[in-house]
Amino acid sequence: MRCRTGLTALVAFVLAAAVACGPGTAGPSGSTATPADQRALRLAAATAAPVSPRQVRAQFEQLLGLHALLAVRQMRSVVAPAPDLGQAAEAALQENTDALSRLVASAYGSAHADRFTPLWQRHLGDLVAYARGVAGTDASVRETARAALLADADAYGAWLAEASKGQVQASDAAAGVRTHVEELMGQADAYAARDYRLAYRTGRAAYEHMFTAGAALAKAGVTPEVAVGLETPPERLRSAFSMLLGEHLELIVDAQRATFAGSAEFQAAAAQVNANTIALTKAMAGIVGPTKAEEFQTAWANHVEGLMAYTAAVASNDQAGKTVARENLDGFAERLGLYFSDVVRNLLAADPLTDAITAHDAHLINQVDAYAAKDYPRAQQLEREGYLQMLGVANTLVGAIQRTVKPRLPVGGSKTGGGGLACRRP
Amino acid sequence: MTGGRRGLAAVAALLVLVAGCGVRQGRYAGVSSTVATQAPDRPAKGVEAVRGFRSVRGYRPTPAPVRVEIPSIGVASTLDRLGRAPDGTIQEPTRWEVAGWYAPGTRPGDPGSAVILGHVDSKGGPAVFFRLRELGRGDTVTIDRADGSSVRFVVQRTEQYPKDRFPTDEVYYPTLTPALRLVTCGGDFDAAAGRYRSNVIVFATMRR
Repeated sequence: MRCRTGLTALVAFVLAAAVACGPGTAGPSGSTATPADQRALRLAAATAAPVSPRQVRAQFEQLLGLHALLAVRQMRSVVAPAPDLGQAAEAALQENTDALSRLVASAYGSAHADRFTPLWQRHLGDLVAYARGVAGTDASVRETARAALLADADAYGAWLAEASKGQVQASDAAAGVRTHVEELMGQADAYAARDYRLAYRTGRAAYEHMFTAGAALAKAGVTPEVAVGLETPPERLRSAFSMLLGEHLELIVDAQRATFAGSAEFQAAAAQVNANTIALTKAMAGIVGPTKAEEFQTAWANHVEGLMAYTAAVASNDQAGKTVARENLDGFAERLGLYFSDVVRNLLAADPLTDAITAHDAHLINQVDAYAAKDYPRAQQLEREGYLQMLGVANTLVGAIQRTVKPRLPVGGSKTGGGGLACRRP
Repeated sequence: MTGGRRGLAAVAALLVLVAGCGVRQGRYAGVSSTVATQAPDRPAKGVEAVRGFRSVRGYRPTPAPVRVEIPSIGVASTLDRLGRAPDGTIQEPTRWEVAGWYAPGTRPGDPGSAVILGHVDSKGGPAVFFRLRELGRGDTVTIDRADGSSVRFVVQRTEQYPKDRFPTDEVYYPTLTPALRLVTCGGDFDAAAGRYRSNVIVFATMRR
């Protein structure tokens, strides 16, 4: 039975990794598909008919999280300005909106999706308008865009109240989107003022809050009875780890790109990478205890520093440094693979885990190579594929963690009384 | 072919799929071929900063809790350490007047639910958590830790559950939200068995 469990887990893991690599992830050997084919395949993969409300929740979280990240990058490209980078971000945002619309259609029906899509498109356009206002000197442009964004939030609230058949109050839904747009506007303001620490901290908060929004959107589309099943402790744990691991990849991408913008911006981005590492370590501590958590942090720190060493080599055109960094990353991936396999008590074998981490490294290596070569569409594509791959790995890893956690929890209630006095009081 | 062999064959096939994604091919073999590596003309502006980057290390565990105070119901108690009994249940506190912290679980203030147990009464009279059920939304609980620091929690709700339907996941399951669970007995008393049939659970979240 143990053997069968392990085999099942391994098959599940490999499948998840394969799906996460999925269409559009050509890998090092490249691909023969045309860009249009790849885009179509990616859209299909991102919105492949979800089979359960939990999968709908996970997809809403990942798509909305990605929306926030891409919106941040697009707004900064307007403020900087960096038109080529902005075009790549705009194309990625459009793909994200397509996928989101299809997911809304599957959760709420096509009629509601038809009303959602233009509303969301308007939100995107108003974000860019706001960034233009920040970049320019005419304050009225910015204020007009701000008013439009807040109106978009109200429109979203009204839409969700209707689509959810009243399960969600329009004012509550609108308040969530207002927070979202305030964060996006705030990070653009801070970026323009070169307060990079605030800009990156706010951008990270915007991403994290979209996981809450994704869960809310998924729950509003099902009956209250089904919604309860989407808020169980195991489901919350999956969501939290997916958020943190996806965030890890995106913050590394931010730091890699910030290297080309200057020291101050890199340091601000790197501070968020470290904040994410602290959060991940604390999360692991709650599962594996303090000693194993320290072991995790060491292995993770090596992994992060390895990626930054590669970035430094790219940024200084140091071919030998790149080779050394790659070799070091190999070793760090193996160590992390062994660590995670041990943590889940070998429910997942070390080799596929190592391979998944190596694939994650490869996305980031290729991403920074593309960015340095100013091939922004390719860098954006690799970022997105890396994000999806990371979430696939996170879901599989958390699934295994969940299977090891449950048997260790105390059974039943507590024996904490023996006098019978408490039940006789009024 | 046996079921096990078929399974292994399936795994092997799937491994090939993954290899097609770019792994198991000598790690980074061919990585440089995926991107037109047009080297930057000069070092990037932030190259010195990225060279100097150091990841955060040296994780230091949150200190263990040593004391609980709940002013609204007059509780002020040191904390014993509790584990899991051989039958899988949580150990009960050995002293009526002293509460206990479930040490294999979360430390108060860390992500997850820290769990503190206390008796409601004994044959001799009220025990440390006799008034626990009176706690309501907004009441505060302060936990002192071994290093002299404190962390404060705010009660969200108080519920009673039959022991055979104890919400194990809601109390013990890992989460990334720092929380506190206070547990004692309640409900009907089974005089023959000398035990209560239910548990009272206080759910609290950390005050930022």
